[in-house]
Amino acid sequence: MNSTLGYGLVLLGLLCAAFAAVVGVVTGLTRRDGALPWVQRAVYGFAGSMILSNAVMVKALLEHDFSVKYVSQVGSRATPTIFTIVSLWSALEGSILFWGAIMGTYLLAFTWIYRREHGRYMLLTLGVMSAIAVFFGFLIAGPANPWTAIPNPPADGPGPNPLLQNHPLMIIHPPMLYLGYVGMTVPFGIAAAALLRGELGDAWLVPLRKWTLVPWLFLSIGIILGGWWAYAVLGWGGYWAWDPVENASFMPWLTATAFMHSTMVLERKKSLKLWTIALALASFVLTIIGTFMTRSGVFNSVHSFTQSDIGPTFLVFIAIVLVFSVALLASRGYLLVAESHLGTVVSREGSILLNNLVFAAMTFVVLLGTVYPLATEAFFAKKITVGEPYFNQMALPLGLAMTFLMGVGPVLPWGAADPKVLQKQVLLPAGAGVLTVVLCAVAGYRGFMPLAAFGLSAFVVVVTLRELFLPARQRMAEQKEDAVTAFLRSATRARRRFGGYVVHLGIVAIVVGVAASSAYKEHGTGTLRPGETMTIGQWKVRFDGLESGREPHREYMAANLTLVSPAGEEIQRHGQLAPRMNYYERSNDPIGSPSVKAMFLRDVYVSLLNFDNKAGTASFNAWVFPLVGWIWYLAIPILVLGTAIALWPQRKTRTAEASAPTPAAAQGAP
Amino acid sequence: MKRTIAVGSAFALIGLIVYVMAKGFGTDPHAVPFLLSGKPAPNFTIKRLDSDATVSLSDFKGKPIVINFWATWCGPCQTEHPVLDWAAKKYANQAVFLGIVFEDNEKNTRQFLQRNGWSFVQLFDPKSTVAVDYGVSGVPETYFIDRNGIIHHKVAAPFVDPREFAAHLETILK
Amino acid sequence: MLIALTLVAGLTLAQDGYAPQRPVADPLDAQREARVQALGKHLRCAVCQGVSIADSPASMARAQLDKVRELVAEGKTDDEIYDYFVERYGEWALMEPRKSGVTLGLWVFPVLLLAIGLFVIWNQSKKGPVAAPATPATDAPADDYLAKVRADLEK
Repeated sequence: MNSTLGYGLVLLGLLCAAFAAVVGVVTGLTRRDGALPWVQRAVYGFAGSMILSNAVMVKALLEHDFSVKYVSQVGSRATPTIFTIVSLWSALEGSILFWGAIMGTYLLAFTWIYRREHGRYMLLTLGVMSAIAVFFGFLIAGPANPWTAIPNPPADGPGPNPLLQNHPLMIIHPPMLYLGYVGMTVPFGIAAAALLRGELGDAWLVPLRKWTLVPWLFLSIGIILGGWWAYAVLGWGGYWAWDPVENASFMPWLTATAFMHSTMVLERKKSLKLWTIALALASFVLTIIGTFMTRSGVFNSVHSFTQSDIGPTFLVFIAIVLVFSVALLASRGYLLVAESHLGTVVSREGSILLNNLVFAAMTFVVLLGTVYPLATEAFFAKKITVGEPYFNQMALPLGLAMTFLMGVGPVLPWGAADPKVLQKQVLLPAGAGVLTVVLCAVAGYRGFMPLAAFGLSAFVVVVTLRELFLPARQRMAEQKEDAVTAFLRSATRARRRFGGYVVHLGIVAIVVGVAASSAYKEHGTGTLRPGETMTIGQWKVRFDGLESGREPHREYMAANLTLVSPAGEEIQRHGQLAPRMNYYERSNDPIGSPSVKAMFLRDVYVSLLNFDNKAGTASFNAWVFPLVGWIWYLAIPILVLGTAIALWPQRKTRTAEASAPTPAAAQGAP
Repeated sequence: MKRTIAVGSAFALIGLIVYVMAKGFGTDPHAVPFLLSGKPAPNFTIKRLDSDATVSLSDFKGKPIVINFWATWCGPCQTEHPVLDWAAKKYANQAVFLGIVFEDNEKNTRQFLQRNGWSFVQLFDPKSTVAVDYGVSGVPETYFIDRNGIIHHKVAAPFVDPREFAAHLETILK
Repeated sequence: MLIALTLVAGLTLAQDGYAPQRPVADPLDAQREARVQALGKHLRCAVCQGVSIADSPASMARAQLDKVRELVAEGKTDDEIYDYFVERYGEWALMEPRKSGVTLGLWVFPVLLLAIGLFVIWNQSKKGPVAAPATPATDAPADDYLAKVRADLEK
């Protein structure tokens, strides 16, 4: 019953998407705008069917309806309800079905918000986006069908992958990432429509920008949460390993970030049009390549789904999208000519160009390093590994260059800079940067990379804070407003600028967190008897004994600990908080779960390597990571805040964007 | 002209990327290369599981040797155990059979062997040092070493079919 | 990962008590141990998914790290230690390939890209600033705009 209904909905969705794609593109190209209402209805139909189909799947999961193939693969009566719902995206077929629901939601929101605007572009946009929806609908209906009915359903299933049940972060990390990935479909549709139409007016740039910013934020959060999850679950103390799947999520983030910057040059200078559009297209293509990396079974990754046969289908789709994008850029690109040239490099636009170059280089490095082992094997039958040391070596200088540009860019004016003014402006932030380096060096911190990262971060923070507060001070002086009013008014007057700078602060938090936690971590390892103590830096870990227990879906063996701070304060880590090994009923493999004492300035991280139940001893790996929490606790709220400010609807009147006919009120995140 | 070059190279790049990824379908990303084939087998001296005596590889100079790395907790190892047991009895006069148990404890292993058949010499590698020396990349793995002490090849999968095992053994009996 | 996890402790609850356990080898003195960890970062764990032996919790990875420890204690050089693993697994065992032959592309191509990019930007900036666009592009009827653009191209 469930499987018939669910599959029927998928087919209905596929049908709607196919209709919208064909009608949208054909009437869009022939400029018969009368078809728009029908295309809109078809898009709503696709969205509705996909969302409903997912609802049916959740129902089937909750009912433990093992006659549905997917439920029989990931369901289990012993699994807690929350993880039963989450198992919707815990395996390949379900994740693609879920993908369909997100795509439906995006398309629905986009179509509804702009139902009465941008008529000239809308048919083509919806057509292109629906064409992508057709592909995913086809995947769900065919190669990755979760709805196959099982004639003799088993009484119980194996339950979802234990790794996914081990931590609550797994509940929100994948949806965030999917929201980021799928969302890139929208800017792709917008950009492709602009190319097909052969024009890119200012008004059409607004949705392009906003609808890139939305998935960009989700992608940022998804990536950070993924790192946090790896850190909290995998037990080796790292959050980023340059694994193919991590790289896959990083690449579209890089191009989308580059896009966000080049679009400013586009608006101001009417140049970089083709490049900006190409970045929007690339962000989407990279999400598809990323999905392929995660799901094709071609790449060796901790996170990859099991080998599946959707790989070839995906590869064909990648080829089509790539050829389509390049052909579009090549055949229509001449319509989008630059209306001005870059002046000097020492200008805002110059710094943004350099920023784009660095982001492009970083994307290229990540792609190259990820694909290179495949290439050497394909062409030279030589198996190599391109791992963390390579990526770190390449990415760190580029990352420092990004940080530098993040500080320099805002200082530089558009057009040409007056060297004297510039000098005066740079003095204070540069001084702050140098001072930071000196203070860190005096405090005993060594190493070029981390000190450079701290110095540049201080530079960026001072520049950014000045940019954030200077307009307010001006208002206070000129319009005699009090501080709060002036600040709020100056912020609301230029939300994008303000939000962008706030986001920069979030990025600085990540830069500092990454630099400090990787350069100044302290490590200790050893086997302890109960009562024995080991030392990591200035911290001590005392082993209090083993404790085993049972929870509904797992058994565990925990090593109770007491952490002793440098000041002698004792912090107990017993039971839930202790590092432990979890044993899931239908899995032979224990899943280690480290214990993290998170503090603002440092984390004390202990993972249980193994234990001897008879002797009562246990072996540990322990670290002290300075500032590591900044990457998530500090950065995520700042990024969300900054993006929200930038996305927050601008009042229609009296703004620079008055020409935009969009009721901005409707442009929030879907 | 410039545009033709740019577009041409873009398409070439697409072709390259798609080709490389398509080639990837034929290969197993989890396969671990093994380069010790054709090289002398590393020597070792470790304890037998049935006594306190030790065994060295060099004790068997001039004989073909089969070494099976395994552990009791590994399902595929349990599946292939009867095949190896059968082979060790059948080829007892033609080749030396050694089992090396690693990542396991002695008590478990003895129990397992007593229950499931103990037809050839089983050794215990308490710290997996021999396994590391032999470039083991999973369990079970079976090494075929010829009369000159050279590793002919290894099989990184369980044996299900006795004939398959016999075919592999033939390569070192010559 | 599955294989790796199997090797973490390799346990089945059905069996006698918990997993077969193996104590961790004692670390060397601080200086040499730091070298062990640094070397471990550059060596790929044989039973895991693209993780180095310093990072992997797998028991086999720790056995490999013990081997590194042993070789360091014997006074072997970094290259000799890498060679030990390359002999067994090929260059696959190195987390970063050696800079020779085809792998050089990993370093050459990005540098090339940066150089070309810098050249393009520098070339652009030489042209000198051009007056800002005369008319800000609006969403006015498209055909005028198209005509203007095409006219620009005819030049």
